[in-house]
Amino acid sequence: MNKNDIDLSIDFCGVKFKNPFLLSSSPVSNSAEMVARSFEAGWSGVVFKTLNSDTTPIIHPSPRMNGYGYGNKKLVGLQNVEMISDRPLKDNLADFLYLKKKYPGHVLISSIMGFSNDEWAYLAKVSQDNGADMLELNFSCPHMAVEGAGHHVGKAFDLIEKFTTTVKQCVSIPVIAKMTPNITDMTEPAIYAKQGGADAISAINTVSGISQIDLDGFTPKPNIFGIGSVSGTSGPAIKPIGLRFISDMAKCEDLSLPLSGIGGIETWVDALEYILLGASTIQVTTGIIHYGYGIVEDMIEGLTDFMVEKSIAKVQDLVGKALPNLKTTDKFDLKRQGRAEYDLTNCVGCGQCYTVCRDAAGFALEWDQEKRRPILNEDKCLSCMICSFVCPVSGIISYTEMPGTWKRQDACVMDRFLETQIKYQPFNAGHLISS
Amino acid sequence: MDKRYDFTQAWAEADRCLLCHDAPCSKGCPANTDPGKFIKKFKMQNIKGAIRTIKENNILGGACGILCPTARLCEKECASSLLDRPIQIGKIQEFLVRHGREIGFKVFEKPELTLEKVAVIGSGPAGLSCGAELAKKGYAVTIFEKMDEPGGVLRYGVPSYRFSKEYLKTELEDIINLGVKFECGHAIKKDSEAEDLLNKGFRAVFIATGLWDAASIFDEKPEGVYNSVEFLSSPHTGSLDILKDQVKDKKVAVIGGGSVAMDCAGFAASLGAKDVYLVYRRSFSQMPAEKDEKMESLENDIHFLILNQPKAYLTNDKGVVSGIKLVRTELSQAQGAQRRSPIEIKDSQWVLDIDLVVEAIGNKAFKDSNSLYPGVDIDDKKLIKAELDNCQTSKQGIFAGGDIVRGPALVVNAVCDGKTGANAIDSYLVRRRAKLTTKEG
Repeated sequence: MNKNDIDLSIDFCGVKFKNPFLLSSSPVSNSAEMVARSFEAGWSGVVFKTLNSDTTPIIHPSPRMNGYGYGNKKLVGLQNVEMISDRPLKDNLADFLYLKKKYPGHVLISSIMGFSNDEWAYLAKVSQDNGADMLELNFSCPHMAVEGAGHHVGKAFDLIEKFTTTVKQCVSIPVIAKMTPNITDMTEPAIYAKQGGADAISAINTVSGISQIDLDGFTPKPNIFGIGSVSGTSGPAIKPIGLRFISDMAKCEDLSLPLSGIGGIETWVDALEYILLGASTIQVTTGIIHYGYGIVEDMIEGLTDFMVEKSIAKVQDLVGKALPNLKTTDKFDLKRQGRAEYDLTNCVGCGQCYTVCRDAAGFALEWDQEKRRPILNEDKCLSCMICSFVCPVSGIISYTEMPGTWKRQDACVMDRFLETQIKYQPFNAGHLISS
Repeated sequence: MDKRYDFTQAWAEADRCLLCHDAPCSKGCPANTDPGKFIKKFKMQNIKGAIRTIKENNILGGACGILCPTARLCEKECASSLLDRPIQIGKIQEFLVRHGREIGFKVFEKPELTLEKVAVIGSGPAGLSCGAELAKKGYAVTIFEKMDEPGGVLRYGVPSYRFSKEYLKTELEDIINLGVKFECGHAIKKDSEAEDLLNKGFRAVFIATGLWDAASIFDEKPEGVYNSVEFLSSPHTGSLDILKDQVKDKKVAVIGGGSVAMDCAGFAASLGAKDVYLVYRRSFSQMPAEKDEKMESLENDIHFLILNQPKAYLTNDKGVVSGIKLVRTELSQAQGAQRRSPIEIKDSQWVLDIDLVVEAIGNKAFKDSNSLYPGVDIDDKKLIKAELDNCQTSKQGIFAGGDIVRGPALVVNAVCDGKTGANAIDSYLVRRRAKLTTKEG
């Protein structure tokens, strides 16, 4: 199999996408000028910045974002307090017409959010009438303080159903419902959306959070002239949350809707992980905020090479491929055990493995002060593998399974003589401690 | 662009640090600086703690961050070298000290100076470090400095482009804030004057006068020939303007191959010399200057005239130097561990036309320096005999450190001696106090 055999295109609710990579509804999809550039870069479609019906004037807070780093790494997370589009509806619709005329092969998804039934219907209708190929219902904007809007709807499940029903009654194009992650179980609201007629679910919107506090002003960031707010966290930091919700919905048989995965995607590996857990398209914002539209080139090339390597010709065949191996923790085979294995050929002698094993694991390492190298006491290794996470060199520490006869040493008890003084009786089910 | 780190750059460099379990960098500093500790603190956003770690150990931590040959000290054993390159410890250290000032962080509370008076002679790195350590312990310290301003080699021996005088000023402020008194323009020069301080209320004396008598190559030193001390101190002694005229668009030769020679060459270039020649009689690798200093000189377009031995100066009709008679050399056969020495090549004499010469072949103690402290034993180079682990001289109550004991050495070695001296003086005075109490009792 070679590159030419690979088909990255995917069918999502009957709409054909050249590849699974879309812009999500956000600052990166704010205007046709920007979206056109993204299409040129290789993105197959866009969820346009959520439309405003002009009834409520939108003014974005300033400053509207705060980058959140880890060590020297910037933008591990992003905090934002953006609102929906602040452009006049006419400008946005004119941009729709432009994009459809100039890029008929690309998919235009209109994101809408209403404050009332009528407004939902109105925005759905004008979107369809001006060329939108699909709708995404924004039930999850985290910055709406008004009841009955944004994430408040996403948490009031009957409203999800009601508004979805309204929209479905007045348009014929497919409708995606976008979920907030700021709940416990996403399958529940997703099923409400399905009952209202939603054709697909997208998730996740930003996670409600506070990532940093301005220590001089004692104000959460972004610090809007002395006031901060719980707001939307996005970026690589939230990928585990997004993957979890997508997999929950993918495994939910009552739902059985196509999924569009969002949350912390920057590379083809991130995108593929969403796909393997059941998403058939993926959407990106923070990755673009960090690196620009050009990252899609690497998503396309990277995913293509992976598919060649695995002899998988169609993206569709990757969708949900990891789901059969995703089970609850009680399904683990606990009889099989292993430990870390050390090959010190390229060790630089930093000893971070020693420190973390001593302070956070089984104290299975000793430190040779002369040679400045760790020595593994094999049968004390817990196989947590944290040593390998801090090791600065590839290939020194690996995992190896041990034969069934292998036994791990118990953690040491400091003073066995104290056993005689222990005040306890072994626990018996049903046993009550009398007072 | 400023080659010094800003916050982001220092942070990024610190992020590369592997935080070694038994940080080898922390064993490489003559003054016991603990980079493993201050970089970890920096990385854990404990920035003031990082600055405190540096400054409490070394009052001249910023200066050392700039001036230390870190490549062969703390950075030498850095485990990151095995991955790609060592952590730039000196640059992080310099940043942290500077950052501390920018945020107005004061490491030291002003101590109560209730203990004995101690005199320090010389305000170079050894004297400053000794004075600061003693003040931290509560001694009333006076530093005597013969020049008009304090700093010693940091002011008069290092060109500003390597170590700015504004930076020195801020390092000095920390010492002044500790309550150390400076008597500048006060030369200790009379016979026995250093020892006599013990009779003038000072209970101990630390001699840290350094080496300031520049060696010369020939007996004759015609006009237009400077030594490194005269040349590098010119910005602070009022002779800079004259020198500028003599150097700008002219051909300058610096004789020597050490760090000071590199500084002189760089300084001449910064004054606008047309061509600067470094004349050295041995090979490039034998030049004692640090590798990065040599590379910087090369990049600075300094011409390296290696394997050339100066034989004499030529002068014009006004008696001003106009050329150097040189003879080419080759290196002798290697004999065991001994370094190969230069041998003159027969009939290879030539003349380098030149407008100005700087001799930078090393400094020594002044000939009559011992007259200030006749009771102190010296060696044949007039260096004071003192143990490096206690700075104690042959005379009770007189301690010494820095170049006047070691011979030419690094700033960080002098800092180390200052600390050692302060601890030794403290022990000495504690013992003395105990004796007095016993007598009284």
